[in-house]
Amino acid sequence: MDPECSRLLPALCAVLADPRQPMTDDTCLEKLLDWFKTVTETESSLLLLQENPCLVELLSQALKFQDVSSRILSFSLRLAGIFAAQENCFQFLQQGELLLGLFGEAGPLGLPAWNVPSVRSGWIQGLCSLAKHPSAEQFLVDCGAVDTIFSLQEDSSLFVASAASQLLVQVLSLSIQGRATPQLGSSDGDWPSCAQSIVGYLEESLRSGATPQITQALKVLTTTFGRCHHSWTEALWMRLSPLVTCLLEKDTVPTAHSLADLFLSMARSPTFGSSDCDLWVTLAQTLSCLSPTQAGPLALGILKLHVCPQALKTQAFDVLLQPLACVLEAAAQVPGSSGLPDGTGSNPTMADALLASTSSCAALLCQSLAHLGELQALPHSPRPWPQVLLLEATMMTLRFCSGSAVPISSVGGRLCGILASCIRVQRAALDFLGMLSQGTGPQESVTQVFAILLEYLRSPESSPTVLKKAFQATLRWLLSMSKACGSNNPDPHTQPFLRELFPVMQKRLCNPCWEVRDSALEFLTHLTTHWGGQPDFREALLASDVPELTQQLLQDPEAYVRASAVTAMGQLASQGLHATPSGPEHPGAKQKSLPQELLHILSLDSEGFPRRAVMQVFTQWLQDGHPAMAEDLEQFMARVFQVVSRDLDWEVRVQGLELARVFLAQTLGPPDCPYAVALPAATPPTSPAEVLRTLGRVQLLEFAFRALFDCDRPVAQKSCDLLLLLRARTAPGGGLQGAECNPEAVTVEAALRAWQAGEQGQPLGELVPEVVVAILRALDLEGLQATLAESSDHVEQSPRSLLQDMLAAVGALGGHEADCY
Amino acid sequence: PGSRLTPTGAGQDVGRSCILVSVAGKNVMLDCGMHMGFNDDRRFPDFSYITQNGRLTDFLDCVIISHFHLDHCGALPYFSEMVGYDGPIYMTPPTQAICPILLEDYRKIAVDKKGEANFFTSQMIKDCMKKVVAVHLHQTVQVDDELEIKAYYAGHVLGAAMFQIKVGSESVVYTGDYNMTPDRHLGAAWIDRCRPNLLITESTYATTIRDSKRCRERDFLKKVHETVERGGKVLIPVFALGRAQELCILLETFWERMNLKAPIYFSTGLTEKANHYYKLFITWTNQKIRKTFVQRNMFEFKHIKAFDRAFADNPGPMVVFATPGMLHAGQSLQIFRKWAGNEKNMVIMPGYCVQGTVGHKILSGQRKLEMEGRQVLEVKMQVEYMSFSAHADAKGIMQLIGQAEPEHVLLVHGEAKKMEFLKQKIEQEFRVNCYMPANGETVTLPTSPSIPVGISLGLLKREMAQGMLPDAKRPRLLQGTLIMKDSNFRLVSSEQALKELGLAEHQLRFTCRVHLHDARKEQETVMRVYSHLKSILKDHCVQHLPDGSVTVESILIQAAAHSEDPGTKVLLVSWTYQDEELGSYLTSLLKKGLPQAPS
Repeated sequence: MDPECSRLLPALCAVLADPRQPMTDDTCLEKLLDWFKTVTETESSLLLLQENPCLVELLSQALKFQDVSSRILSFSLRLAGIFAAQENCFQFLQQGELLLGLFGEAGPLGLPAWNVPSVRSGWIQGLCSLAKHPSAEQFLVDCGAVDTIFSLQEDSSLFVASAASQLLVQVLSLSIQGRATPQLGSSDGDWPSCAQSIVGYLEESLRSGATPQITQALKVLTTTFGRCHHSWTEALWMRLSPLVTCLLEKDTVPTAHSLADLFLSMARSPTFGSSDCDLWVTLAQTLSCLSPTQAGPLALGILKLHVCPQALKTQAFDVLLQPLACVLEAAAQVPGSSGLPDGTGSNPTMADALLASTSSCAALLCQSLAHLGELQALPHSPRPWPQVLLLEATMMTLRFCSGSAVPISSVGGRLCGILASCIRVQRAALDFLGMLSQGTGPQESVTQVFAILLEYLRSPESSPTVLKKAFQATLRWLLSMSKACGSNNPDPHTQPFLRELFPVMQKRLCNPCWEVRDSALEFLTHLTTHWGGQPDFREALLASDVPELTQQLLQDPEAYVRASAVTAMGQLASQGLHATPSGPEHPGAKQKSLPQELLHILSLDSEGFPRRAVMQVFTQWLQDGHPAMAEDLEQFMARVFQVVSRDLDWEVRVQGLELARVFLAQTLGPPDCPYAVALPAATPPTSPAEVLRTLGRVQLLEFAFRALFDCDRPVAQKSCDLLLLLRARTAPGGGLQGAECNPEAVTVEAALRAWQAGEQGQPLGELVPEVVVAILRALDLEGLQATLAESSDHVEQSPRSLLQDMLAAVGALGGHEADCY
Repeated sequence: PGSRLTPTGAGQDVGRSCILVSVAGKNVMLDCGMHMGFNDDRRFPDFSYITQNGRLTDFLDCVIISHFHLDHCGALPYFSEMVGYDGPIYMTPPTQAICPILLEDYRKIAVDKKGEANFFTSQMIKDCMKKVVAVHLHQTVQVDDELEIKAYYAGHVLGAAMFQIKVGSESVVYTGDYNMTPDRHLGAAWIDRCRPNLLITESTYATTIRDSKRCRERDFLKKVHETVERGGKVLIPVFALGRAQELCILLETFWERMNLKAPIYFSTGLTEKANHYYKLFITWTNQKIRKTFVQRNMFEFKHIKAFDRAFADNPGPMVVFATPGMLHAGQSLQIFRKWAGNEKNMVIMPGYCVQGTVGHKILSGQRKLEMEGRQVLEVKMQVEYMSFSAHADAKGIMQLIGQAEPEHVLLVHGEAKKMEFLKQKIEQEFRVNCYMPANGETVTLPTSPSIPVGISLGLLKREMAQGMLPDAKRPRLLQGTLIMKDSNFRLVSSEQALKELGLAEHQLRFTCRVHLHDARKEQETVMRVYSHLKSILKDHCVQHLPDGSVTVESILIQAAAHSEDPGTKVLLVSWTYQDEELGSYLTSLLKKGLPQAPS
């Protein structure tokens, strides 16, 4: 422990133990515990207590319960647990009967403070930390803690009950694993007494018939089987399985969710998953007796298992498919012709659940679509995967929602009424439709997919969130189509689709909701990135007004949209697809080129997003060697660096430094690599002096040096990295001579020192290469880099600062109480 | 039916508000705040208790955000983009506009100072905001077929709202943070007499009767003025939006009135946008601002200029608003370091500061601050703390409860001890149950739903025809047939019900056999029964029919010989349900036997 902290500790302990001192900030106590946890991970707790007796005094003070506030009591319980996690320290605290006083029956259990959840929580957390060694087990039995843990299973606080359940598992495991021969049978005598009482409690809870007790017992078992994979867990299951499985025999299973969790936890455990037990039979039985909504998550869990009998997987897959089978059945002209695999026909319970109300129908369909989507993404998705039928069912669901389906059956009519304009189902179905693009489908289905996507993109009824999903699904299908056909063979669906898509996009770019305009622009950027080079795409895009509209959106009132428009325009321009505002149709438009327009945004936009987007576009253009940048590059760069260095948004400045890094790398050329095969260089290598002169001309050096002392740490860090790169390439040990004694260098260093002190000072002006080299050598860039790697508040966040703050707060808090916004 | 509520934040604390409420089976999350005192996952509410119920989007029907303060909305992008909630989020239009600015501001500070783990990105904030649906004041928004929400004005900050959540006849009102007294910019909170089953109210100042905000504002102006007059510089660390604008208006008006010349600067580029929103949502401000808006827009500042980093070194007095508000990174910290050594200067902290920040240190009176590289900064400048938070005090809370007339009250967003006091006061004064669950504790409220039933005109007319006028104080029994159709309930006459539903009427008759010791012939027994009943039931029409049976109203009595015992006669008694009472009475009468016949 830091000696300074050790010095402050007695005063702090005295403050904590003093009931008259108000402590308003719970976060301080939390952070104090974090610190003790860290300290005891590397140091001996016993030594710590011996060297800082104030800590033991603080814990002893907590025994005077009537004098202690509940938060200090809770803190002390947790702190005692942290120390007692080490066995020798546990013995030490036991000698003073401190632990018995805190955690035993004479402890806080009978006091009014016990009614405060944080005290009960502190008691549990203390024991959780402590229950790590064999001595702890005996202690828990002796002090009667196990009975208290039982009673806390049904605590009024979810947090306390959940922590108590975790603790029970820990104690059970400690009790059994601490035993020499862990061969356990069904008779009570085989089990250690502590474990026996826990098992007895679980048996009693499972028999009780009361849902909360059963649920809690099932949770304990779920955690046990999830955490412990020893053979004793099998013995435990042998004892409890009759009680658990008989829960399934009731007409309605009240604890379905917890039961499903338990069985899945067992199936995932190597102890049960690989053994030849009745688990699979139980899982099959559970699947068939749960309601459709309850069975869904279990079915998904089963299908995610690595080891599982095929028959069970088939049964589980059927459960997930059933709601969609119902949809197909409802749409089919002939009943029973849904076309899904045998046995997946819609069952009456499912149909009833679907038709009961909009809520239950939406809940079931959304759940099923989401679960199937999750499965589709898995590497071991069920085989055979009924791609075509799933496509049909999803599209049918979307048609029911949009009202474009023409139902023939009465069930279909009812579904149509229930699902009409149901945004929740529309979103889920579009998500799943997008995921289905991973699989293949016949031409006809694909045509239908594009038709329904177009219908949704076009529909004035589609809400912004639905439109966003429709854009995402469309992108996925277009990507998958182009992947399937290869880049050189245009996909037959894409061209006609694109022709229809762009007029829709035009409308969406003019939508009054910013969300829609933004999603449309994001979609356009993706489209252009992937297909900007394809003639079909270019033709369809240029035939529409989309490029002009995108350019107009650079002036959108919403900053998010302006930023997306900047990115989209950047991408369009990269592909030579942007509109040039000239000619008679734009008489008022100034003949400003796109780079100039973006520079204008960078200089004048009041918000950071568009300015950041502009910097990203410039960096991308420079990297790609975009022609717009090549034209008088130095002058343009100088202008950009000048503007960006004054930006109020530090993220824009960081982007500016990224642009500077790319420019620097390009100016320097590829690094000399001793292993590289000598290739005829396109351009002769530039001399360091030449490089530095260029950097000076474009104002990069001024920008970088100023940024080095920026009050926003990431800017300074980025600049530091940049200057280190520059120094390595232009001023290595030998090479260009510096001018350390040059009066100009002295002036510059003085300016830098002033900047470092936070003053602004005058611009550096033109710097000769020798001066730059001298400065680069004089600066302790490595030291600065190390400092900047830490967070700006690391001093304030240090343990020493925490202790000082807690002590300082004592006198100050009386004046102004804890406040909030 | 019934409501269940579990706070995962704001239960007996003033940290991050996040309350789960279940109204008639619909699950709603009220606020999704963050705690600025932590740098790890503890800053967000523990969502594992929701995720254990399956997929979040399936479990939760919607999320409602009461206002833009980060302790009410700061965890939203984390919840929607990282934990995976993909459903609707509701908030008022000003909150929708301002919320992303504050989230972005906080994200920037977090990334700027570094060392923050698991934080959301700018894109995540945008994607989260795309899921938001705006709710206007007093507009009822249908979340789905059953769940509806409605917003009421809450004062507190621009766009703050209280929300009513209604499912069928059950309703819950959540106040968020509110203020019952109007201030310089905002009006007072108001709600109609909506009589919710449960009112969830904040209780920050549960035991306080606060001095008016005007006093605090006067004090603030005095301190700034004095410092500027003696040539000092004033630093006011703020977050980009909210309090900053309030204080700007305050200073602007004061500078104008006093004709002061010292410059006022605002350090972030966000002023313009923030002011734009205050202008855009002028209807959400108070009446005075709205009225004067026509002559002079309060949000167009003449005296407040954008700050340039070079200005901090300028000689002479000035006032600077700089972010962030707790002096833990960036511009405000840099200016503080420059000015701290001069006793003529002053720093005013207009909000609370969490531990681990320079703001917290100076507020607790520390004057020698350790800086990076073991350097020590001596703070000689004056340090002032001023709370401008606008919450209802104890009186205001009671006033709101009186307005809404809830069946139950539940306190959140306050300290346990203060809540305990207010709880007793509420229970005494309003005779309602008041709860104050800690985080993680569930309160379950069984409700007896009142279901409205329409009554047919025909049935009412028939009742009126019986001569008695309806009297609210004397409830009386009315018989009819209840028709439940398409979630509507109607009480109609049975005839009308039959007609509407196209059903035929069925007669239901009760039958009973009574054994009589009588050796005479059946006809004679019947005669004896007739005479006996005639003598007892003088008010009823007793008839002896030619077929040998006796009738009393709808009751039919026939006699037959016993198949095995010739000395016993079996009386078959049957009656309709309308005469059930009389039928039972007759049966019991006959069971007692007949009077001896005069010989």
